[in-house]
Amino acid sequence: MTGQIEIEAKNLNFYYAVNIHALKQVSLSAYKHNVTALIGPSGCGKTTLLRCFNRMHDLYPKNRYEGEIIFQGTNILSNDIDIINLRSRIGMVFQKPTPFPMTIFDNIAYGLRLKGIKNRSELSGKVEKAIKDAALWDEVKDKLNVSAYELSGGQQQRLVIARALAVEPEVLLFDEPTSALDPISTAKIEELIVQLKSKVTIIIVTHNMQQAARISDWTGFMMLGELIEFDKTDKIFTAPSEKLTEDYITGRFG
Amino acid sequence: MRRENFRVIQSRIAFILSTLTALFGIFWLVFIIGDILIHGIGALNIDLFIKDPAPAGVEGGGLRNAFVGHLMITLFATLIGVPVGVLGGTFLAEYARGKKIARLISILSDIMVSVPAIVVGTFVYAIIVKPLGHFSGWAGAVALAMIMIPVVLRTTEDMLSLVSWTVREAAFALGAPYYKVIIQVVYRGAATGILTGILLSIARVTGEAAPLLFTAFNNSFFSTNMNEPVASLTVSIFQYAMGPYDIWHTQAWAASLMITLFILIITILGRLIIKWRYKK
Repeated sequence: MTGQIEIEAKNLNFYYAVNIHALKQVSLSAYKHNVTALIGPSGCGKTTLLRCFNRMHDLYPKNRYEGEIIFQGTNILSNDIDIINLRSRIGMVFQKPTPFPMTIFDNIAYGLRLKGIKNRSELSGKVEKAIKDAALWDEVKDKLNVSAYELSGGQQQRLVIARALAVEPEVLLFDEPTSALDPISTAKIEELIVQLKSKVTIIIVTHNMQQAARISDWTGFMMLGELIEFDKTDKIFTAPSEKLTEDYITGRFG
Repeated sequence: MRRENFRVIQSRIAFILSTLTALFGIFWLVFIIGDILIHGIGALNIDLFIKDPAPAGVEGGGLRNAFVGHLMITLFATLIGVPVGVLGGTFLAEYARGKKIARLISILSDIMVSVPAIVVGTFVYAIIVKPLGHFSGWAGAVALAMIMIPVVLRTTEDMLSLVSWTVREAAFALGAPYYKVIIQVVYRGAATGILTGILLSIARVTGEAAPLLFTAFNNSFFSTNMNEPVASLTVSIFQYAMGPYDIWHTQAWAASLMITLFILIITILGRLIIKWRYKK
């Protein structure tokens, strides 16, 4: 199962605005076409780590990275990286569904249009493919020109995944994608994530340990900004090497 | 037991007082609108819209000059005020979000909203009319625009702030630069709210007479030259209502009715847009 490394954090430190040291010496590798889960108690830095991979922290002033994140041979934390291009290669799905105030079609086409694709038939083709990949096609094929707000929460989340898939990213980051959804929608999204593995490398932050166990190949356990343990998911959940990990997954704290 | 009785009495007193004051307010409102309707409807005739004022004391004539002038001043005020207000609001809600300067400008424009219109009129008199040496339609448009700007600016700021921040992040995460996020995503989400704000600000300035008195002044002749004094309905009402001729009074009533109707239509339009928005 171990294969090629897609993206790798090396001795990563991250500071929020006024010297809040949120990530401490984190080193972690996400393998190509694998699902890597990040678990840990609230405030442990797992979302912070996730948002480093597409430089989301750059939106806010005074945030600071130290160390390296190597993505296909280049350090994406260096200053000469084209962040806009980076973000089209490393997509992100958020906790709450974030449809844009436009039609379903325009939502999916948004990233494609940003890339300069204007040809109507090329757009339709790619939009259809993305919606099919996100297992949403049967539900929306007759209403592509309806506002995206008319979909249910679970459908909106799959729409957002389709939107991220449309630009054919190499990595997809999921930030607790099911925490705002009901169990049935959650199951659909989990199934989808497992299917998507063949196309993209996935890193997912989750509060739900069962979810991590169900869908991921690798799991990182974080606490207080440190990566305590990183290993194959089977190993983490059956025979963790660290006492802290064991205490957390057996529910002794967190 | 006694304590409960006391509470019931307190409640009744509060109820009676609030009902009476509400009735008092509504009475005058209905009285004013009713008065305008009664006097105005009888005074409406086609001459009012197609003829210019007749010489003083002569029967007939209309207010074509004031209708056209009023529309022109309002139109240009909107063309000046709306872009400034919307872009200013965008600056506050987006680029200066959370900064002290944004707070300060917000508070200042809240104060500006309640500055008496006549103060704005005299201000524009000092910066435009006096240096140029004559009244002009432009000065009137600028004065009205200055009243519109804080209203549009604050509405825009509030409406943009209502668009959730994660939606912006989602657009950034697809590789969109900030200006595209604002124009393509945030403005779309806030469009109906901003439009309502614009309509209400137009309704607000249409009824102003004081700022025009010092700027556009008045013109008894038909003129579409914004460099000259331009007639407006509100200033004409002011002048005609004070005048000694019955025909002037009748025309002032008709003009009042037309302005009230115009404001009513715009306000209803604004309300409908809000309703339509929240139904979605």
